[in-house]
Amino acid sequence: MSSRRSLAVRMSVGLLLAMLLVLVGGFPGNLGADPPQPEKPKGGQCVRPAEWMRHNHMDFLKHNRTVAVREGKRVRSESLQKCAECHTSRERFCDRCHDYVAVEPDCFDCHIYPK
Amino acid sequence: MTMDRRSVLGLGGVLAAGVILAPGLRLIAAPEDVTEASDKRRWGMLIDTTQCNPACTACTQACRTENNVPLTGDPERDIHWIRKVELHSKDGGKPDRSLPVLCNHCEHPPCVHVCPTQASFIRKDGIVLVDMHRCIGCRYCMIACPYKARSLVYSTPSIPGTPNRKVPMRAKGVVEKCTFCVHRIDDGGQPACVEACQKEAKGGMLFGDLNDPQSEISQRLRQVLSTTIRPDLGLKPRVHYQGI
Ligand code: HEC
Ligand code: HEC
Ligand code: HEC
Repeated sequence: MSSRRSLAVRMSVGLLLAMLLVLVGGFPGNLGADPPQPEKPKGGQCVRPAEWMRHNHMDFLKHNRTVAVREGKRVRSESLQKCAECHTSRERFCDRCHDYVAVEPDCFDCHIYPK
Repeated sequence: MTMDRRSVLGLGGVLAAGVILAPGLRLIAAPEDVTEASDKRRWGMLIDTTQCNPACTACTQACRTENNVPLTGDPERDIHWIRKVELHSKDGGKPDRSLPVLCNHCEHPPCVHVCPTQASFIRKDGIVLVDMHRCIGCRYCMIACPYKARSLVYSTPSIPGTPNRKVPMRAKGVVEKCTFCVHRIDDGGQPACVEACQKEAKGGMLFGDLNDPQSEISQRLRQVLSTTIRPDLGLKPRVHYQGI
C-alpha cells in the first residue's frame, strides 16, 4: 500500500517536473527558431495600427467580408485587394507568419493576390 | 432687386438638386470609397430576343472573361453563368430563335429557400447571391432552380491567360452562378454581358432599376409585351424577355 503510494507521488513529481521543463524551455523543436520576419510593407499607414492588425487582421478580414458580401457595403480602401498594394507578396508577407504558426487560410484558393 | 420668398426657395431647390445629383454622377466616374446596396432598388433585366443572333456569343464570352468562369471542355461539368438556349417550336421544327438564359434573380428564389447554410441569400437590392465563404457544395440549390442557372465547381478551375483580378476565382466544391456582376453594379456600372451586347451586338439587353418608374427598363417594360420564363411557377423572375 505505502510503496504504491510513494510510487504515485514519485510519478506525479516527475510529471510536474517534465511539465515545468516544457513550460520554461519550450519544445526542443522551437528552441532557436527565429520569429517570423514578414516583409516590410510599401506605402504609408496600415488600415489600422500595425500592432492591432497583428492580433486582429483575421477577424477584421472576416468581418469585412460579411459586410461586403452579404450587406453589400464596400469599403474600397480596406478591401482584401487593397492590402496587396502595400503588402505586395503573399509568400513574403502573409505566409511567413502563417507557416510559422501553421495556419493555412484558404482565402487564396479564390482571391487573387500577388505571389 | 430683392429676392422674394419664392426665388429663394427656388435657389434652394437648385442647390439641393445639385447635392442629390452630384454623388450619383461621381459614382459613375470613380466609385466612392464606401458604397452600400440600397433596399430601394430592384435590379432587373429585359432581353429583346428579336435582336439576339443565334450565332452570337458576345454576352457569354464577356461573362467568362469578366467573372473568371473557366471552360473545362467537359459538357457535363462545364460552368455557365449565362448560356445561349435555342427555341424550338412545339411541332419540333428547326430552332428559329436563340436567347441567353442566366440567373433570374427571382423575388421568391427556391435556391435560397433550400440552402441549408444560408450561403444563398437575397441581397437588399434583390440580387440573389452565393456567399462563397459559406457554401458547402451540397447542390440542393441546383436541384431547386428551375432555370438551371447554377453550376458546381467540380475541379480546381484554371483560367487561360490572366484572370480578372477584381473577381475572386471559386474553389473546387462550391456552387456558383450569375451575380448580375455585383462588383460592377456597386461601382455604378452595368453587367458585362449587357455591355458586350451593346458594344459588339445589337444591344438587345437592358439592365436597370425596376423600382424606379423613370428608369429605361421600367419604361420599356410598360411599353412592350414581355414575359418571363415559366411565370406559372410564381417565382417572379427579374429577367424579362421580349419576343418569345
Ligand atoms: C497603405 C499601405 C497599407 C495597406 C493598404 C495595408 N497595410 Fe498592413 N501594414 C502597413 C504598414 C506600414 C504596416 C506596419 C509594418 C511594420 O510596422 O513593420 C502594416 C502592418 C500590418 C500587419 C502587421 C505586420 C507585422 O509585421 O506585424 C498586418 C498583419 C497587416 N498590416 C495586414 C494588412 C491587411 C490584412 C491589409 C488589408 C486589409 C493591410 N494590412 C493593408 C501598410 C499597409
Ligand atoms: C505578423 C504575422 C502575420 C502576418 C503578416 C499575417 N498574418 Fe494572418 N495570421 C497570423 C496568425 C498568428 C494567425 C493565426 C491566429 C490564430 O491561431 O487564431 C493568422 C490567421 C489568419 C487568418 C485566419 C485563419 C483561419 O484559419 O481562420 C486569416 C484569414 C489571415 N491570417 C489572413 C492574412 C492575410 C490575408 C495576410 C496578408 C495580407 C496575413 N494574414 C498576414 C499572423 C499573421
Ligand atoms: C470559394 C471561394 C472563396 C474563398 C475560399 C474565399 N473567398 Fe472571399 N470572396 C469570394 C467571392 C466570390 C467574393 C465576392 C467578391 C465580390 O463581390 O466582389 C468574396 C469576397 C470577399 C471579401 C469582400 C471583398 C473584398 O475584396 O474585400 C473579403 C474581405 C473576403 N472575401 C475575404 C476572404 C477571406 C479572409 C478568406 C479566407 C479566410 C476568403 N475570403 C475566402 C470567394 C472566396
